[in-house]
Amino acid sequence: MLLELREVGKRFGGLQAVAAFSMTVRAGTIHGLIGPNGAGKSTVFNLITGVLPVTSGEIHFKGERISGLRPSEICRRGIARTFQATTFFREFTVLDNVMAASHLAVERGFVKTLLATAGYRAREAAALARAQDLLDAVRLQDVAGRRAGALPHRDQKALSLAIVLATGADLVILDEPLAGLTTQEGEDAMRTLQALRADGKTILLVEHDMRAVMGLCDVITVLDHGVRIAEGVPRDIQANPAVIEAYLGAEDTRA
Amino acid sequence: MPPEPRRVDGWIGFGVLLVAGVSVPLLTRDSYHLDVATVILRNLLLTMSLRYVMSTGQLNMAHVSFMGIAAYASALLVTRAGWSFWAALAVAPLLAALAAVPMGRVALRVSGPYYFLISFAFLEVLRLVFNNFFVDYLGGPSGLVEIPPPHPLLLTGGAVTFIGKLAQYWLMLVLFLASAAVLIRLECSRFGLVNGAIRQGELLAETLGVNVPRYKLGAFVLGAFFAGVAGVFFAHSQRVLHSSDFGLEPMVLLVVFTVIGGAGSVWGPVVGTLVLAVASELLRELHHYELLVYGLVLIVVMLCFPDGLVALPGRVARRFGWGRAKDGASTLGAGVAP
Repeated sequence: MLLELREVGKRFGGLQAVAAFSMTVRAGTIHGLIGPNGAGKSTVFNLITGVLPVTSGEIHFKGERISGLRPSEICRRGIARTFQATTFFREFTVLDNVMAASHLAVERGFVKTLLATAGYRAREAAALARAQDLLDAVRLQDVAGRRAGALPHRDQKALSLAIVLATGADLVILDEPLAGLTTQEGEDAMRTLQALRADGKTILLVEHDMRAVMGLCDVITVLDHGVRIAEGVPRDIQANPAVIEAYLGAEDTRA
Repeated sequence: MPPEPRRVDGWIGFGVLLVAGVSVPLLTRDSYHLDVATVILRNLLLTMSLRYVMSTGQLNMAHVSFMGIAAYASALLVTRAGWSFWAALAVAPLLAALAAVPMGRVALRVSGPYYFLISFAFLEVLRLVFNNFFVDYLGGPSGLVEIPPPHPLLLTGGAVTFIGKLAQYWLMLVLFLASAAVLIRLECSRFGLVNGAIRQGELLAETLGVNVPRYKLGAFVLGAFFAGVAGVFFAHSQRVLHSSDFGLEPMVLLVVFTVIGGAGSVWGPVVGTLVLAVASELLRELHHYELLVYGLVLIVVMLCFPDGLVALPGRVARRFGWGRAKDGASTLGAGVAP
């Protein structure tokens, strides 16, 4: 069990956004989190990554409790995420974005940095080589010197994935990785995610493209009004009456 | 593997500063010119260190207060405790940095306009302390006077004195270059990247593993240290301290220098400080209205070139499609880049 949410709850004033939500993500899987708009998917992501504190319950990662830690500490334990909106540094070049991400999680001494000791320089060179490998992997090597804010949408999506990977995270959390991509681009992105799984990464994603979710995910958890209504393999989820009702609403029950 | 371009640019820029700094005394021995050049170097130290704080997204309006803390501390250590100037030079900036720790912690609880207001409150409170409290020690409204110049430095070849304008220029140049080397080195290292990441997206940086408050506090304290270095020199070169030296007006000037040059680049404050130093000489006739002109220039620069003058050559080059203009974060910018 890589990630485990135990009875997690989040309350915003009078609104119970997430209620007693439990979910386990197994290592090496692609796990989908789906649900209608406003179901609380983004809140769950924010709770896992420590952007929002949980109101109740606990979150464990690699057997260690992570709820209550700072987002940076959670990242250092191996969880990195993308955001729906801005998920890279617009003013930096593509290469600097990835370099920054691979630096951010690594603590190096102030004095060592200042003096650029041999060990420091070797690690810098390794980080640069790794960044270039990552850009190759997401096919951004040709735009490495361009300002990130000026990239087309597909490349921005690829860059946000490269940034997350640059942190070296074992669990990669993606908020709508396919949104806004053309069919062809979406298929490329799905192949990239499958390659990551083959590499041993674990992926947790929110995505509205149901065909992609069903084709890609090993396990799917369905959330509605902050409550888990189903969990299982794609075939079972597609046939689950509660899920169909949540998506299609009352009309379906009347039929 | 070729060396990282950022670092190379950094050393080229530092080389230019070094050559320019050393050539001033070769070009002129006029005491007025040396005086102006010394003030420029002191301002460069202040704006470059202010920009380091700003590079993490903190518009710290109390920067000049740390210069004041070190200036008063150094003056008192030398006049009251009988310390050597050199011992005070080593200790007073550390005291400024130490004072910055609790102040930074308080200010970092908020951000944006609230951060600006809190740091502005620090500025005013400290100015009032310098002006109205411990009058026996700090000199009150009439100022702290009779601060001795730097003591002679005893070297194997004999004693070096720091009385004349030329000697003071050299001292300031050494202090500036040593500080600039550290600030440029940091900017070209991962600290520059991390600070820039924090400025552009605090939450994103945090979720990518940066303990944002710690980095911001680190920048705040480091900025205070270098402002303190400038403060020690200020105390023993002016030899008189007034609370108004560390008030709103000098602080606003530092911000104007930095922002007009461009706070996004380590070279921005260099460009801004030099350009406005020249402008200030030209505007000398205007006396009080000089500030008014600065304000207008600031508005125009903010409207037309929000990245500051340092980003201008790149923008012009892109506009006319000259060459393959780097459209990345300009690492060197004006002055040296084609």
